[in-house]
Amino acid sequence: MTARVVLVDDHRMFRSGVKAELDDSVLIVGEAPDVDAAIVVIREQRPDVVLLDVHLPGGNGNGGADVVTGCAGVQTENDAPVRFLALSVSDAADDVISVIRAGARGYVTKTISPTDLVSAIHRVKDGDAVFSPRLAGFVLDAFGATAGEIAEVDEELDRLSAREREVMRLIARGYQYKEVAKELFISVRTVETHVSSVLRKLQLSSRHELTSWAMQRRLL
Amino acid sequence: MRVDPERPLRHPRKALGSLGVRPEVGNTGFVSETIGVEGVQRPPLARPTEGRVLAGVCAGVSRHLGIPLTSLRLITAASLVFLFGVPVYVFLWLTMPQSDGPALVKPFDRRVGVPAKYSGERSGGETSGGDQGSGVSRGRLYLIGVPVLVVGGLAASGAIRSVAHLSLTLPLLVIGVGLVLVWSRLGSAERRQWLSAGDRRETRIRTAIGVLMALMGLILLLSQGGGVGRLRDVTVGVLVVLLGAGILGAPFIARFLETLRKEQTERIRATEKADIAAHLHDSVLQTLALIQRRSDDPKAVQLLARAQERELRSWLYAEQAATGRTLATAVTEAAGEIETLHGIPIDLVVTGDRPLGDGEETLLRALREALANAVRHGAPPVSVYLEVGPTSAEAFVRDHGPGFDPATVCEDRLGVRESIIGRMTRHGGEAQVRRLQDGTEVRLRMSLDAPTAGADSDGSDGNDSDDREQR
Repeated sequence: MTARVVLVDDHRMFRSGVKAELDDSVLIVGEAPDVDAAIVVIREQRPDVVLLDVHLPGGNGNGGADVVTGCAGVQTENDAPVRFLALSVSDAADDVISVIRAGARGYVTKTISPTDLVSAIHRVKDGDAVFSPRLAGFVLDAFGATAGEIAEVDEELDRLSAREREVMRLIARGYQYKEVAKELFISVRTVETHVSSVLRKLQLSSRHELTSWAMQRRLL
Repeated sequence: MRVDPERPLRHPRKALGSLGVRPEVGNTGFVSETIGVEGVQRPPLARPTEGRVLAGVCAGVSRHLGIPLTSLRLITAASLVFLFGVPVYVFLWLTMPQSDGPALVKPFDRRVGVPAKYSGERSGGETSGGDQGSGVSRGRLYLIGVPVLVVGGLAASGAIRSVAHLSLTLPLLVIGVGLVLVWSRLGSAERRQWLSAGDRRETRIRTAIGVLMALMGLILLLSQGGGVGRLRDVTVGVLVVLLGAGILGAPFIARFLETLRKEQTERIRATEKADIAAHLHDSVLQTLALIQRRSDDPKAVQLLARAQERELRSWLYAEQAATGRTLATAVTEAAGEIETLHGIPIDLVVTGDRPLGDGEETLLRALREALANAVRHGAPPVSVYLEVGPTSAEAFVRDHGPGFDPATVCEDRLGVRESIIGRMTRHGGEAQVRRLQDGTEVRLRMSLDAPTAGADSDGSDGNDSDDREQR
């Protein structure tokens, strides 16, 4: 099934580059160079997935996060919410955190290979979360998992559970979801569940380090 | 003599009148000015370059306040003759900025010449009849001006007669200075903001206090008898007057500081911009030129692009100057070097950090070796994950090559095993080479709990080139 995608990036060259890379399973239904145009196009086209650059002109000056906020509640024809995948060259943690916390389902860097990008688009379309190794590393750092902080209960918002930490570590090591599943002897579906729950924590956690950490440290 | 504050207070009072004292409160004479501020944009208080007689003070004031120019000039001339106008004129001359635009002076003498636009905006019956054109009519100007002249003249002669009266003129001058400054420096938007509904209460209180203080000071000054307590009276009077002027002048001071800060920020920004331009020129543009020249060699192009990206990234997102080298920075550096050397991109993820010690150094060397192997024998993508915990550090190097089985001892790999696994175990760490379905993963782990005993003095120490030679 083809995914209908709107491409939002202020660099025309990059947009055409992405368009050329994507295969037939992805249909670009719209493009926008800035926040305001993006919101208009997304509301009109109601795509499955929006590929969103983090740095965009216009809006309230928050770039991609503004687009996510401005399109809150927009649904596709199948009544699924329009989902956002952040795609950026920026590795700055505050950029990543703002878009994810605004509601994006994933974050990948622009150096991602075309096949990975296509699979990421489909994954986001199906409601899963997409974590690049960098984002996983960022999550581990921000939740203090590196320092050995582990949630007692899975539901705890401010820490990762032991399993989530394992999944994040494997993703940071460059493992694909299916490799993670194999490594941990769980199904890919379960890996996806863990990743989604980490994303939820990332969006909802009020962990103060999350912000202060992002302020003082850049993600690399 | 009694009333000689009249002249210095002329501007202040005008300012107050247009500033906030509502029509019903204020003197009727100033009603039109109140409307003037809110309705029409006042031209800035500045000395025009054309149409001036002496320094353009009169022309500027006339333009700003909408006072008939010729009448104002006459009054000013008279006040100059009586000498008391000299300080006021000189002060205005010094403080009024010269307007750099073409002369926009509209002589306000002729109400006929005033554009209909102005009279149209001046709606309502609040204005006294016939005064629709400009701020102050000629008749009213004389009404105010002539008494001021008389009183001022008297005061001047009085002041000249006794130098002691300096204590009297000085505070008055200070009030005048403060108020004129406040009025002239506030932009029209700020003036409006100053009067805006939001903080009108505050404005009113401030104005009231200021006026009260000024009046109290004046009363004290004027009622001084010349007795023993005179000095004290004068001091108190001056203080009170200064305080009043200060309260009235507070917005000016705030604005002045604000402007200063803004200028500073702008300067910093300009410097930064110049820095960025210089940097982009030295690095990015040069690399782009190189890339264009070597466009037939994709590998070289990729290498150049990656190196440039890394360099630019470290420059853009550089963390604040770290105190000494840390494990994270050292690993980042090593990965960059190997990437440049072999032209294969390495994805590096680092979490946590700690200063570089012996154990870390060992880990770094082993990691470097593992990375070099991954890019040489494996296939991209090559990824590195370094996790620095409180008691240990772990590193994973992964490639997607055909892989090899560490069990099948191969001559070629012996050196690798020696310099990675051997080195790690010798220093209290551990290393594993795992063969995955898709590629190879080297896992390095170093306990950093206790400082590693002994320096790296064994054979594998020294430069890594030796290790490579052995292989």
